Amino acid sequence: MWKTNDPDVKKILYVQTHGEKDPERTATPFFLATAGAAMDNEVCIYFTMNGPQCLAKGNGEKIIIPRKGGNGKELKYFIDQALEMGVRLFVCQPSLDLHGYTMDDMIEGVEMIGGAAFNDMAVRADAVIAF
Amino acid sequence: MDVIKEDQVLDCSGMLCPMPVVKTSKAIKTMEVGQVLKMVATDPGAPPDMEAWSRQTGNELLRSMQEDGKFVFFIRRTK
Repeated sequence: MWKTNDPDVKKILYVQTHGEKDPERTATPFFLATAGAAMDNEVCIYFTMNGPQCLAKGNGEKIIIPRKGGNGKELKYFIDQALEMGVRLFVCQPSLDLHGYTMDDMIEGVEMIGGAAFNDMAVRADAVIAF
Repeated sequence: MDVIKEDQVLDCSGMLCPMPVVKTSKAIKTMEVGQVLKMVATDPGAPPDMEAWSRQTGNELLRSMQEDGKFVFFIRRTK
């Protein structure tokens, strides 16, 4: 949930619905969130539908962002960058069930919220951007 | 053009978005209010990104220019 009460700090919520089947759609939310955090905004990413696959242990190394000509980067690079800038990562509880995950399958630092908390975050955000 | 004297230099040559913004954000936080950071980048997205970053963070972009094929920015920490 949002931490800031400072009206000067803008809140951006990204929503990631894609997972391991769509590697080319996995890095950008982390990437934009990192830039958003570097601009002194409070930034969170909510992972729902196939999104939690991005945060499953081992998948950061397994999911390679394809790039023309090869030399794709591991998704982990983008996840670590976002975490280092203070971006917070939330998973949706029913989406964990969908993939047979528990919180133990998620990488360090991931927080869990449900649908009500997500909607509350969305209405209080300055921007919600969904992928 | 007046010469702007920087207190610190950050070379982001060869780095792509969002790294110049990330490095600038980290560097400016280590400086005193009023000090000037000179940032050098080759990412063609850097000029609009630095303008947006400055508008959002309130740190003042004193100058944005090109020099020897690189983008050069002077930023004053304001808060």
